Amino acid sequence: MSFDKKLKYDRQLRLWANTGQTSLEGSHICLVNATAVGSEILKNLILPGIGEYTIIDDKRVTEEDIFGNFFLDEDDLGNSISSSLAKQLNELNTDVKGYAVSTELSELLRGPAEFWDKFNTIVITNQVASHDLDALLDLLWERRIPVFLVRTAGFYGTLQLFAKEVNVVETHDPAMFHDLRIINPWNELQEYSDSMDIDTLDDEMHAHIPYVIILIKTLEKWKKENGGKIPLEYSKRSEFKRLVESMSRNLEMEDNFKEAAKATHRALQFSQFPPLINDLFQKVDSQEISMDSNVPIFWIYVKALKQFVEKYNELPLPGSLPDMTSTSFAYVTLTKLYGEKARDDERKFKDEVIHVLKASGNSEADVNHNSIHSFCKNIHFLYATTGSRKLYNNSMISAIMKESNSLECSTLFIYFTVMCYFSFADSLQSFPNPGDLEKFKAFFRNMFSLPSSKPLPEGLIKIFKEVIAHSSQSYHNISSFMGGVTSQEILKVSTAQYTPLDNLYVFDGVHSISEKWKI
Amino acid sequence: MFSIQNNQHDSSYLSLVSNVGPFNEFIDEYDPNEAFNTLSNARVLVIGAGGLGCEILKDLALTGFKKIDIIDADTIEVSNLNRQFLFRSGDVGRPKAEVAAEFVKRKSMGKNLSIVSHYCRIQDKPQSFYKQFDVVICGLDSVEARRWINATLVSLVDSNLNGLIPMIDGGTEGFRGQSRVILPTVTSCYECTLDMITPKTTYPVCTIANTPRLPEHCVEWASVLEWPRRFPGKKFDPDLSEHLDWMYETAHRRAIHFKIDGVTKELTLGVVKNIIPAIASTNAIIAASCCNEAFKYVTSSNPILNNYMMYSGDYSIFTYTYSHARKPNCPVCGNHPKTIKVPGSWDLRDFIEHIKEKHDISIGTPSLATATKQLYFRSPPSLEEFTRKNLGRKLSELLDDNEEVIVSDPKLPISLRLLVKLE
Ligand SMILES: [Zn+2]
Repeated sequence: MSFDKKLKYDRQLRLWANTGQTSLEGSHICLVNATAVGSEILKNLILPGIGEYTIIDDKRVTEEDIFGNFFLDEDDLGNSISSSLAKQLNELNTDVKGYAVSTELSELLRGPAEFWDKFNTIVITNQVASHDLDALLDLLWERRIPVFLVRTAGFYGTLQLFAKEVNVVETHDPAMFHDLRIINPWNELQEYSDSMDIDTLDDEMHAHIPYVIILIKTLEKWKKENGGKIPLEYSKRSEFKRLVESMSRNLEMEDNFKEAAKATHRALQFSQFPPLINDLFQKVDSQEISMDSNVPIFWIYVKALKQFVEKYNELPLPGSLPDMTSTSFAYVTLTKLYGEKARDDERKFKDEVIHVLKASGNSEADVNHNSIHSFCKNIHFLYATTGSRKLYNNSMISAIMKESNSLECSTLFIYFTVMCYFSFADSLQSFPNPGDLEKFKAFFRNMFSLPSSKPLPEGLIKIFKEVIAHSSQSYHNISSFMGGVTSQEILKVSTAQYTPLDNLYVFDGVHSISEKWKI
Repeated sequence: MFSIQNNQHDSSYLSLVSNVGPFNEFIDEYDPNEAFNTLSNARVLVIGAGGLGCEILKDLALTGFKKIDIIDADTIEVSNLNRQFLFRSGDVGRPKAEVAAEFVKRKSMGKNLSIVSHYCRIQDKPQSFYKQFDVVICGLDSVEARRWINATLVSLVDSNLNGLIPMIDGGTEGFRGQSRVILPTVTSCYECTLDMITPKTTYPVCTIANTPRLPEHCVEWASVLEWPRRFPGKKFDPDLSEHLDWMYETAHRRAIHFKIDGVTKELTLGVVKNIIPAIASTNAIIAASCCNEAFKYVTSSNPILNNYMMYSGDYSIFTYTYSHARKPNCPVCGNHPKTIKVPGSWDLRDFIEHIKEKHDISIGTPSLATATKQLYFRSPPSLEEFTRKNLGRKLSELLDDNEEVIVSDPKLPISLRLLVKLE
């Protein structure tokens, strides 16, 4: 990366590093509808340097469009809205390429489906004809292209992610734990520990024994006294902790023993596999995943990991070491030991990856060292989930129709109301106004097939009133808020880092609260 | 009956003001004409023209605010361009407030929009300047500036709540941020929540001096120990490339000596400048939330945030909205002194070091007095000299048990009352 680019992107490289930036710059994002919220999403992606973007919208700029949109003005009136928007947005960052497509969505949907394959992510904003929305969602679901549907209505905003599956390796999990292998040190670590005779050290050196060594030595002592058993239960671990403390010459003065005591519980917990890994192992062997040439690389790695574990009975060592009180020399030695073991495991893991690639009809040339390295480093923090193609499900409908609805349900009311608000406009060619409450109620019942015998909950009707009274699709604070939220999610998907939404988010700008739901 | 008085009101927020919604707290009194008038005439001060400030200015201009002032003492740098979208590479070096105001005005031609820019520090303006505003929105990255404006706005309120100006405050870091509405003397203030700020990571001096292990330790050694030794009296300026190069090379040499990997120029800069990661998306979220509150407050169209919303986007999306309680012993908005227990055998210097380090006090350059005598004053020089001798005296000699000590700092319009219990 050039020096200028490093400087320009410095504040974000601290979040996702060069690897994330490279993925971002290789991404092409497609916006359906040149709305105010759509413009804000693109702005927030163009500034950090997304590779390319395409705006699909066949309409001409009207006065209505200019209001609430910072990137359209009076000079654009009457021109193609997608071209006008792309022109203004392109000024934001010369690194980014932007394109406009002034073709009707339904026509594109009638055309070749390959058109959509060049996009890594698609964002649909606000109003799309119901049948087009369904057709587009079906098409992209099959092609495994993630889609965000974002909508703004008055003081409300909703966002949904449609993705068959989401797998993240670099989750940046904030739970900073480290796999230290206290229970089962490998030979080199054991030898290093044995080489330290801690009883003969002077006080200064004793206060600088790294806590990894303290824990290994305390565990040896414990095993001798407890018939070779490892303290796994909570109460035993607490007892072990007291043993660690008792080995200090003066606990007040020896920070390293304090650190060792503090690290006890976590370090001993690492005897078990993280539950997620067992789930992944089950899934990779199930019918859900077909190990063929189309399988996402994530599952190749999971399969390889399973074989690794079967062979070596342990996970590859991530190799990271937390800072700890120590002499510089001992710490650097430990860093080296952990680093070498990690590299060694990575090599062995790579061999398994090659086996799996071959067995599943993929080429050995697909081996990517960086991504293997990253997978091994993050083995305790992997994330995997399956999404939904549905806009809602029956349990959500029953939840909103429950007679005793408490406030906690209000964001679901908002979600259904906003969905209905856009369908209403699609069917009746205009958004509801304050005189349309009864019409809106009837439309809602019809849309979600609700029997007329059952009354709509009070809380739901209140949300109807709010949306109808404050009917606007481009109140800028909500456009900008949802633009920010959506662009964060797209950045996470594009950099393949951090964990994205799973899968529905609702913002209530009246009360400044939000909630998420899984469909 | 409501009628649109002129065609300047654009339709993106028209219905939000002209129709009263079911959550409005004053449904019977709500008058759309009045709401429009207040919106067009409200004077808003935006503090900070950085990542948040650019967004705030845009949001206000597009939601009907007409009288905006913006204040910022910074000039544009290259590393601002990844998020501060009102600036282009040709603007580098120019005052942020000026360029931002020009850009938004140019974009909003025909909208009768007035944006006045102030290229100075907030501390340079008198109280009378702040009194003219109806709302203050802060998009700052400095704790000190926030404390200053917070204390100033609290001091403007009298016992009948005359002079109350809401302070709407936004802050971001990476994928996270928070927005809050402070009604001075009514809700908790910025100072009330000082203990929520995560302190800057610091490393023990003995680690830096004797047993470095991390690349950060090497940079700290270069900046905290080597720089003052090699260049006594000279201030380190991370924006000067020869200073930064020296720092990097010195840290790098130490790292090689101790066989430590990972000292890079970016890391060096990150450590010496305490750089906070920032992206446009998060600024957009937080600025929009702040401006939504300003809009609801000015138009009375819907209830305002009471009083704190946190947003976190690094693990799925999570927000937390709650009412942060006022602290009765807040040095700014409270009326009770804060109790502090210390050994009477300490001398005044120990005591000063202690309160400097205390997280919920965070007064960097304190001056101290009791009701009857000056204990230690930093300025003027004659007074400093006169009170300096107290630094070595025992607290038990200087204070009665439970005596109140007033702590002030020339940099902050705050005086903190401490009730000192001697042990
Ligand atoms: Zn306070």
